[in-house]
Amino acid sequence: MTKVNNRQVIRRLAFRELKANRKMNVVVILSIVLTCILFTALTSVGGSLINGIQQETMRQVGGNRMAGLKCVLPEDHEKVKADSAACDVVYRIIVGRAVNDELKKISVELNCAGNDEAAEAMFCLPTTGRLPEKENEIAVSTLVLDELGLPHELGTEVPIILDRDGEITEHSFSLCGYWKGDRLAMAQESWVSKAFADIYAPTPSTPFSPQSPLYTGYYMVDFNFHSSWDISGKAKKLLTRIYGTSENRPDIGINWAYSAGNIDGEALAGGILILLVIFAAGYLIIYNIFHINISSNIRRYGLLKTIGTTSRQLSRMVRIQAVVYCVIGIPSGLILGSLLGKLITGSIMRTLNIRSEGSYEISAKLLFLMCLIAAVFTFATVMASCRKPCRIAGRVSPIEALRYNDTDISCGKKTRKTVKVSPFSTARSNMSRSRKKTVIVVLSLSLSLILVNTMFTVLRGIDLDKYISSQIVGDFVIKQDQASQNDEDTYQKISPEVISSLRQADGVAEVDPVFFAWGRLKLGGKPLERLNALLDTYADTDSFDAFEEAANGEVITDIYGISPELLRYFESTEGISDIKKFESGNYALVMTDYIGAAEDSTDDQFYEIGDTLTLSTWDGKTQDFEVMAICEMPYALSTQSYYPLGAQVMISEKAYSELVNQPNAMTVLVNAEDGHFEDADSQISMLTGSYNSDLIIKSKKTYAEEYSDFMKMIKLVGGTLSGILALIGILNFVNAVVTGILSRKRELAMMNAVGMTGKQQSSMLMWEGIHYAALTAVCSFLFSAVFSYSVVKMVTEGLSYFSYHFTLLPILICIPILVFLSALIPSMAYNKICRESIVERLRVD
Amino acid sequence: MEILKTEALTKVYGKGQNKVTALDQAYFSVEQGEFAAIVGTSGSGKSTLLHMLGGLDRPTSGKVFVEGKDIFSLKDEALTIFRRRKIGFVFQSFNLVPTLNVYENIVFPIQLDDNTVDEKFVGEVINALGIENMQERLPNQLSGGQQQRVAIARALAAKPAIILADEPTGNLDSKTSQDVLSLLKVTGQKFSQTIVMITHNEAIAQMADRIIRIEDGHIIKGGRPYTSLDSAESEGILTSDMRGLTK
Repeated sequence: MTKVNNRQVIRRLAFRELKANRKMNVVVILSIVLTCILFTALTSVGGSLINGIQQETMRQVGGNRMAGLKCVLPEDHEKVKADSAACDVVYRIIVGRAVNDELKKISVELNCAGNDEAAEAMFCLPTTGRLPEKENEIAVSTLVLDELGLPHELGTEVPIILDRDGEITEHSFSLCGYWKGDRLAMAQESWVSKAFADIYAPTPSTPFSPQSPLYTGYYMVDFNFHSSWDISGKAKKLLTRIYGTSENRPDIGINWAYSAGNIDGEALAGGILILLVIFAAGYLIIYNIFHINISSNIRRYGLLKTIGTTSRQLSRMVRIQAVVYCVIGIPSGLILGSLLGKLITGSIMRTLNIRSEGSYEISAKLLFLMCLIAAVFTFATVMASCRKPCRIAGRVSPIEALRYNDTDISCGKKTRKTVKVSPFSTARSNMSRSRKKTVIVVLSLSLSLILVNTMFTVLRGIDLDKYISSQIVGDFVIKQDQASQNDEDTYQKISPEVISSLRQADGVAEVDPVFFAWGRLKLGGKPLERLNALLDTYADTDSFDAFEEAANGEVITDIYGISPELLRYFESTEGISDIKKFESGNYALVMTDYIGAAEDSTDDQFYEIGDTLTLSTWDGKTQDFEVMAICEMPYALSTQSYYPLGAQVMISEKAYSELVNQPNAMTVLVNAEDGHFEDADSQISMLTGSYNSDLIIKSKKTYAEEYSDFMKMIKLVGGTLSGILALIGILNFVNAVVTGILSRKRELAMMNAVGMTGKQQSSMLMWEGIHYAALTAVCSFLFSAVFSYSVVKMVTEGLSYFSYHFTLLPILICIPILVFLSALIPSMAYNKICRESIVERLRVD
Repeated sequence: MEILKTEALTKVYGKGQNKVTALDQAYFSVEQGEFAAIVGTSGSGKSTLLHMLGGLDRPTSGKVFVEGKDIFSLKDEALTIFRRRKIGFVFQSFNLVPTLNVYENIVFPIQLDDNTVDEKFVGEVINALGIENMQERLPNQLSGGQQQRVAIARALAAKPAIILADEPTGNLDSKTSQDVLSLLKVTGQKFSQTIVMITHNEAIAQMADRIIRIEDGHIIKGGRPYTSLDSAESEGILTSDMRGLTK
């Protein structure tokens, strides 16, 4: 058979068809743009948040490589470099720690970077100057310079007291480079030269031994794998390849920024659900629009087939048109979507009070990747949605095409009960013409209503008072800014002077300090049995240090000293109300939050009321207390962190000061005198500022502001999402109604000819629209109710500041608007077709 | 009694060079109970004439009187109402409402007028057309002949002043065409209906009481019933000599 090259003809035909249907093009392209906006906004918000969290975690960890060998020798570095699975291999040589008095607050490590790449991998590449080359050169972060009280100037002399595995030496370096320090990082890296390392940290001759840990001179080798999938599996394999099963193979660390554990199951399921909804919305509209438009073109396709166009050529034509639509629609959607995504990400960041805004700025590469994902998704949706219409176009026979009138009443229905004819009843019977179309339009309209309702339920359920009381007790809370440090020192920052001047400040009614120190609990008798039972329960859990200690009957304990006045902020439980008893200093409150899993279960408590507990401090001082109550810790009073299998005990201020040799408080709660909130606010700011600039003051007002930012974020995200879905729904509705009317042009003219007046036709079409609205209302009421009771209730139940209220109010409000629109659009479309005379309309084939 | 009359009915499409006079100064009338056929070739202007008679299209000039009423003095809405009360249509392509069943289609114009259906009369019409067993069926379940019978029933049911049939057999085979036409004629007589039918088929036209010929927009024969001597003379049926005889 001769192969005929008809591609060009088909292409020309496809383009001519496009040119002829300008209005339809606008609708289709608009729908593609909207779908693409949804996809792009979603991927860029999701992507930048995940990326941001990952970046932030990497900065805490202090490196961006996926895995690292700890304390190895140079030959190990070479081995890793030679391994095909590892790439981007970098190393640094451990030298020691800086132990200057000024640097006590931050932990400063001295290392020698293999090269610039190694420094960059740890976010510590000098932005001014360079890495050290000479023996007396050093590069440090601005944080180190600030703590040392040195200017940010190259050539500055930097005195360092170096601790190399216990050996202390003093050095004076010259600053050859610096970069902006990151409070998030667990340790501040400082770079010395290879020349310095060769002298003070020579390469050890034996492999690292964990039994006698000496670190100086060993290499830390960090590297990436080709993908972040199953890093720990790959790491294990790499170890086996290099070291076999030998016992003294080195430790390998996995960068937890990459671990999938960052994303918990619920969030993942939620994300997938949202993706599915949006994909469905996009598919619904694009499918619907293609289907409708092909139905209205079907007569022309029949004609083309009569004159010899094959099914394949027709499908090709439809596909070419789809590709043209995508070429126009997707880029605009990508641009608008990424702008929207940026806006939403910005709002989420501001609200969640994410400090390191920089890490949420997505790189051009990542943005490109996300746009690519969104573009592929949109393109796939378009192609998937035009598959069936393509088949219809291909399958249609010329004769069928002439009869085709977008009516599939033939779906098993042969007869119909007689009812009185009126615009209303005719409209009703018209609804059953194409059930599928009706279902799709109703579903896509409902989707946005359901979303709006869900959003409203969430917004309404967030209880400002509950939120504030979960965050703060009293009018003001003063505490140390815990940027990243989680050492005891951070919790002992507010000196007695600050407290006493607060007490004397104007407008202040009450000042209650909370003291904090770490200690130990020595368990015996029944509590020990309970602890052992708990240990058995959690035997499968990774062995934390805490578990090892606990096995000896000792648990790490948070010791809080509080003023008895504060007992009133506790939820009332047995034994809690006796302030006098607590004040005596012999009694302790035991908190229920030892261990994540035990929060809700009183079975998992070590102690019961009346038991005696023995508290000991790090200094070795011990004291016995009687358990007065087992109660829940008010979140605002706590350090807001806890140890696995650790205990939290509260004793009176007096008992604390006798037990712990530390006069500084962690937190101070302040209540203002009635009507003097503002006075107190300014007084407190002034006082605390003058003593210690690192103290932060949070008041009910600041929480209310945070709350309003939070609400703004939800409103923005939810509003945009439901706005776009609403647009899609309305576009779908308009398209369905308008093409429905246009394809029935002749039928309407005929009805007019036999005596149906314009008014009657208009009202019939209006009733059709109202039917859509009514069906949408029923559908959204039903689904929203089910969704609200199941998913929304379940998800929000976990939030302490949420009170679930069932509501369908937003739908009730939206329905009149919907009814109005669904009555208006059909009559507008009808008026348009009425511009032609009946005879002209009757002639339409 | 003259039930339908036109006066100098003219329809011009287009302007300037594209100007086409589809109907030119047509005079024409139909008596009560008459079955008239308008015959002409394609493009002769017969459909234009029928559309104007039914008030579906407005003339460029001239008038149409139905039961003495100048229908184009009415506004669009009133004209539509007039149409559903006074004029029944039978179209070539049946034009039934696909979502309404047979019975609903038949009473559609009556119920649009919010009138109670004369069940007895409609029943008679249905029986006369032999469609009594398919009243709850939807149009797409009927054959072409059955659909056209439903269309005729619809035209008759509202007891209009006149039924206008536009190539009623155009989509039917010859056997069915004969059946349908006979039914149209018989029921027309039974219910003393005036019928004006257009066709290009001479054989079909022969069934009518009178044939009106139209060519290039001019009525060339049969424009008026032969009751009027003037008109018979004007059409050359009656010579001036014969005129003396008849007197």
